Amino acid sequence: MGNRAEEDYNFVFKVVLIGESGVGKTNLLSRFTRNEFSHDSRTTIGVEFSTRTVMLGTAAVKAQIWDTAGLERYRAITSAYYRGAVGALLVFDLTKHQTYAVVERWLKELYDHAEATIVVMLVGNKSDLQQAREVPTEEARMFAENNGLLFLETSALDSTNVELAFETVLKEIFSKVSKQRQNSSRTNAIALGRAQAGQEPGPGEKRACCISL
Amino acid sequence: MAKSRGENGPRAPAAEGSLSGTRESLVPGPDAAAADELSSLGSDSEANGFAERRIDKFGFIVGSQGAEGAPCPLLHRLEEVPLEVLRQRESKWLDMLNNWDKWMAKKHKKIRLRCQKGIPPSLRGRAWQYLSGGKVKLQQNSGKFDELDMSPGDPKWLDVIERDLHRQFPFHEMFVSRGGHGQQDLFRVLKAYTLYRPEEGYCQAQAPIAAVLLMHMPAEQAFWCLVQICEKYLPGYYSEKLEAIQLDGEILFSLLQKVSPVAHKHLSRQKIDPLLYMTEWFMCAFARTLPWSSVLRVWDMFFCEGVKIIFRVGLVLLKHALGSPEKLKACQGQYETIEQLRSLSPKIMQEAFLVQEVVELPVTERQIEREHLIQLRRWQETRGELQCCSPPRLHGAKAIMEAEPGPWPTLQPSPSIRLPPDALLPGSKGKPKPPKQSQKGKEQWKQAKASGQLDKPPTPSQAKVAAAAGDACPPQDVPLKDPAHQDPAPQDSAPQDSAHHRSQDSVHHHSQESLTSQESEDTYL
Repeated sequence: MGNRAEEDYNFVFKVVLIGESGVGKTNLLSRFTRNEFSHDSRTTIGVEFSTRTVMLGTAAVKAQIWDTAGLERYRAITSAYYRGAVGALLVFDLTKHQTYAVVERWLKELYDHAEATIVVMLVGNKSDLQQAREVPTEEARMFAENNGLLFLETSALDSTNVELAFETVLKEIFSKVSKQRQNSSRTNAIALGRAQAGQEPGPGEKRACCISL
Repeated sequence: MAKSRGENGPRAPAAEGSLSGTRESLVPGPDAAAADELSSLGSDSEANGFAERRIDKFGFIVGSQGAEGAPCPLLHRLEEVPLEVLRQRESKWLDMLNNWDKWMAKKHKKIRLRCQKGIPPSLRGRAWQYLSGGKVKLQQNSGKFDELDMSPGDPKWLDVIERDLHRQFPFHEMFVSRGGHGQQDLFRVLKAYTLYRPEEGYCQAQAPIAAVLLMHMPAEQAFWCLVQICEKYLPGYYSEKLEAIQLDGEILFSLLQKVSPVAHKHLSRQKIDPLLYMTEWFMCAFARTLPWSSVLRVWDMFFCEGVKIIFRVGLVLLKHALGSPEKLKACQGQYETIEQLRSLSPKIMQEAFLVQEVVELPVTERQIEREHLIQLRRWQETRGELQCCSPPRLHGAKAIMEAEPGPWPTLQPSPSIRLPPDALLPGSKGKPKPPKQSQKGKEQWKQAKASGQLDKPPTPSQAKVAAAAGDACPPQDVPLKDPAHQDPAPQDSAPQDSAHHRSQDSVHHHSQESLTSQESEDTYL
């Protein structure tokens, strides 16, 4: 997956990171967008985000990755967070079974707030800590399969599968978008330049397809 | 954040004894080389060793990315208060703290002005306790914190709290070491709160708040100040449904319309929910947003005047970040706009500029309360009743003090250095002060009253306070240099860097000019 200049893109895909506090959402974000990792990254309060523009085939895609607090009570303020999201990484910590046990609750919350067609990947993070594993790979993989979710195990610390995780989600979104474009002939659901959820690029920039699936 | 290519390996716990929250940890010891490899250092950019680390005057590691406390050297020069002015301010503050009830009752405007100018660092911790009512709370609840401290907490909360301990100001020397005293105290304070208010439990934004408090006072004092913030200044902010913060987001946005129509229009058009930019600002009282010297100035004013300061800071930042067409050129979309609000220009966050703007912004408590009612009604119409009913917030030190059911305990000052009563003090008018203070104090007060210098006729409760304060004048009763009367607070024994709470090393001040002072206020902002 190649990189492209930030200003030059055809698509903007908003992807949200969700999951319990401490599972590694912020570090997945920083690893993917800045190739950085910190053991002591600050507790996320409010909303953080970062972007990275990547090539999918010949299309330049700007991935807008959003990150927020995982703590239960922050659920009350996240509807703005989900708005316009076309992809989600539902992250759990594979060394803490409790963070996996609540995945269904997160899925429910996701579907309550986001589009039903949102692309979701279940991510078991901290794969570098093999000795401390509490969630068997197969168990998580089966759950993902049964619920129509993509699945990968990652390590934001040593970078394993981080690129792959985001790339897979973006490709999946892209493929849905392409299908939709092929299918919809009558509707103008995707109109170049029309403002949708505030994602319209400026006059100087290449016009992007503002997507809601 | 540090760049790590994955060489770190699995996280390892801190080696026994090689790192702690004490000053000793800054000196490379025999284990320093080994310690470098350990994750307890935080990011691996410090791999050069302890000796390379410089700490700024606030305790932040200089040069660390994201260290809020590393101001631009040039701007920093602008912020230096000349030493003589600082010493004068310290004298004035000591006087106020030693006669707190009187000052709050009669000269509150002066207190407010002095908070706006900035509390001298050596007295900041003490002043915050007095302003917030934390000091009174501690006196009213002696032993309570110890009781909470020794109780086992709810494992559910402890688990979350533990995960957050190394994620608050990790580049501050007090919190850099895992399991160090700073993180331990943070744990104790946050745990105590979940026990004190089990229905509230723990909210992650409380951790940075508690951390800031701990930089200025020991755990027990920090706990009571946290209680005051959570219950009096910002009730509901950290509660279950976060309804209070949502309401305040709407209030902020509403107030913005008058303050900066351009910014307001832009945010409207972009459909940017206030929660997307003001959540961290408000919940952490800007402790994670502004350069550190500005954080402290804002907190000084916040403790005195309440939440309106938080609103004003938010409005000033919005106005200057988005308030003109040129600035909006870079904000074509929702994302770009929010990004602009997250990378604010250092110029608008700089201490002197920001404080000036905040003080001058004509946004009042009344406007905030009025807007609060409007937003509340709108909420009820669209979302039904609030699920968590918080008590009304109190707008600052005076309101908090007046809301306390009387009789109010006279605040005992607790300095640890005492001068003989006739010692000449800097800033005094030349004559040594006679020891019989309470008599003089009473006369002075009567004089002031007669000459109409008092703000308003004392209400019965104020008169009670004034009388109590006038009669029970502490210096009279406390013998000199008596160690038994030292403040039992454990600051001195705590191994923390004393620079972070030197508030106890204050001079016992015998000013006779408390209420009739005509000295000109210094003009330094």
